[in-house]
Amino acid sequence: MNRIVSRRGRLLGLALASVSFLSVAAASAGDVTVWAWDPNFNGATMKEAASRYTADHPDVNIIVDDSASQDDIRAKLQTQLLAGSTDGLPDIVLIQDDVAQKYLQSFPGAFEPLSDTIDMSVFADYKVAAATLDGKSYSLPFDSGVTGLFYRSDYLEEAGFSAKDLENITWDRLVEIGTEVKAATGHQLLDLDLNDAGLLRMMMQSAGTWYFNEDGSLNIVDNAPLKKALETYAKFYQADLVNPVSGWAEYTGSFTSGNTAVVPVGVWITGTIKANADQSGLWGVAPIPRLDIEGSVNASNQGGSSWYVLASSDNKAEAIDFLKTIWAEDVDFYQQILVDQGAVGSLLAAREGEAYQATDEFFGGAPVWQNFSTWLSQIPAVDYGIFTAEVDAAVQAQLPTIIEGGDIDAALEAINSQAQQQVQ
Amino acid sequence: MADARLARREQITGWAFIAPALVLLGLFMLYPIVWSLWMSFQVGRGMNLSFGGFGNIQRLTQDVVFLRALGNTFTFFIIQVPIMIVLALLFAVALNDSTLRFRGLFRTAIFLPCVTSLIAYSTIFKSMFATDGIINQGLMAVNIIGAPIAWFSDPFWAKVVVILAITWRWTGYNMIFYLAALQNIDRSIYEAARIDGVPAWARFRYLTIPMLKPVILFTTVISTIGTLQLFDEVFNFTAGTGGPADSTLTLSLYIYNLTFKFMPSFGYSATVSWVIVILVAILSFLQFLIARDRRRPS
Repeated sequence: MNRIVSRRGRLLGLALASVSFLSVAAASAGDVTVWAWDPNFNGATMKEAASRYTADHPDVNIIVDDSASQDDIRAKLQTQLLAGSTDGLPDIVLIQDDVAQKYLQSFPGAFEPLSDTIDMSVFADYKVAAATLDGKSYSLPFDSGVTGLFYRSDYLEEAGFSAKDLENITWDRLVEIGTEVKAATGHQLLDLDLNDAGLLRMMMQSAGTWYFNEDGSLNIVDNAPLKKALETYAKFYQADLVNPVSGWAEYTGSFTSGNTAVVPVGVWITGTIKANADQSGLWGVAPIPRLDIEGSVNASNQGGSSWYVLASSDNKAEAIDFLKTIWAEDVDFYQQILVDQGAVGSLLAAREGEAYQATDEFFGGAPVWQNFSTWLSQIPAVDYGIFTAEVDAAVQAQLPTIIEGGDIDAALEAINSQAQQQVQ
Repeated sequence: MADARLARREQITGWAFIAPALVLLGLFMLYPIVWSLWMSFQVGRGMNLSFGGFGNIQRLTQDVVFLRALGNTFTFFIIQVPIMIVLALLFAVALNDSTLRFRGLFRTAIFLPCVTSLIAYSTIFKSMFATDGIINQGLMAVNIIGAPIAWFSDPFWAKVVVILAITWRWTGYNMIFYLAALQNIDRSIYEAARIDGVPAWARFRYLTIPMLKPVILFTTVISTIGTLQLFDEVFNFTAGTGGPADSTLTLSLYIYNLTFKFMPSFGYSATVSWVIVILVAILSFLQFLIARDRRRPS
């Protein structure tokens, strides 16, 4: 079997080599290439880290490529690892935590274990756990996906709500608030994309559950938080509070242009929101609402990713030393990316730094980073498993029916049967 | 004897000339095709493949997503191909009229979409059909709709956009075939018909269409294959999901997701690829059958 696989690998490699020729030619020996996907966020922080490192190590050249989308990076990575062709792959790649295990388990040996050379105890536990397989940890933990409810304080004020009114509320209460905000200002509460189940996962995790049981089997039909999340999702539509969007550009465009009043999202959106400097002082951040069931808290997670070193890299030593020197030790660096990009890192020591204590005028002078740090410590830990993408697709298949008021139990059955079939 | 040797030498020279092409064709066409057939009987995740017999075919019959994708593909094909063929035919006949002014301009305008890149045009369509895009604004300005349509959040409208997009992109392509064929029809046939007092629609129905039959068959087969392989448009419109609710998921997009987005199932995606191959073969055969000349017994 192996013989056949490697033969196909060579052949595919031959075809891919011609495709990736240009990107290979661009990087010469001694260059450390990095793939990231958000020029406002992880790309920008990586460039900052690179400039700090190369100031002391002028012989190392770090090239950050943040031109591709996350989906493209995943597809490129998966294609090349499957083909067994590592030409054209970067030295360091950014992978989101909830898909990390899929790569680690599907491609054994493709990534370099970092726990041998870097002390992982300096990072937040749940971040390290997401990248740990058989006792070895493979990532340099980057950002936390701690969520918050970003809101336009001017719109809410117009409807008579202050920051206090958003403290520790349920999603049902948010629907009521949204109805009043819409009546007062004419703005929809939030924008949703039926092709993205992110909000549902966020709601579900606030109650400490995910699509899977501990043994990896599906947890759908009797998953009370998921059911409640779907009901809440339908409420937004039935109360006519949603601006429907499709795709990332429309999604961010809706709230950065001031069309919608709130965004429940991971802290990494801060860079995108703050990119509109003219909206300074008009934004606030409240804790994420909770589900109206027992066990749900006002804290959750969405996304969050970490840096992985590819085992095929020719510059492994440089890449690991770079990650270790800046990302595992430089507390000052974490202060700067917090202020500039809103990147809440996972290095525990960084949270004692002064930037974390500071207030932010953009968010009305609130101590937003302290708040995020507090919420971060309350996030219920869940095991993301390896089939989140498949179940997401099954959930999304039911969303149009659900928002029209369809039966939630029937939808859960349908999700379960589709997921059951796909998870193999 | 000498003749035989010469013939033999010619044989060898001929084969030698086409050998490079044959080798390349075998390596890059035949080998992957045969390999994919073999792969379609393999099961397993990622690189851990093992022979699974008819496991993938069994999986196919229980896969609701596959059935959805198949249904969508057929919807696109049954609705879009006839619309496009009829439109292309009408455009071709209209533009073949030698009394029409600016014919060259119109021909270019209608043909131009098919030289645009698939990615570029679908990105532009996506922004045109955004909730606050130019289509909604236009329809609202002329009071056809009261509130913007969320094109890509509604399973029905999302399909409509896909059909509109591929019709826009490919009508001109088919029209060119008809135009070329029309110019090969002897004008004297029409002249005779006109002298006999045959009205215009009857000339179209009983002269033009029968004469174009082979070309219509050809374009229908090509369009059928194209629609079965529909990928770029739906991938771009929906960020690769085929949403909302798989309403624009095509077989090709599903194959892509099975390989590159989900836990990689090479074997199963190869099985779905072969479904397309078999469908193309069956549909093309049917179309040939329907369009075959019915020879009346004399």
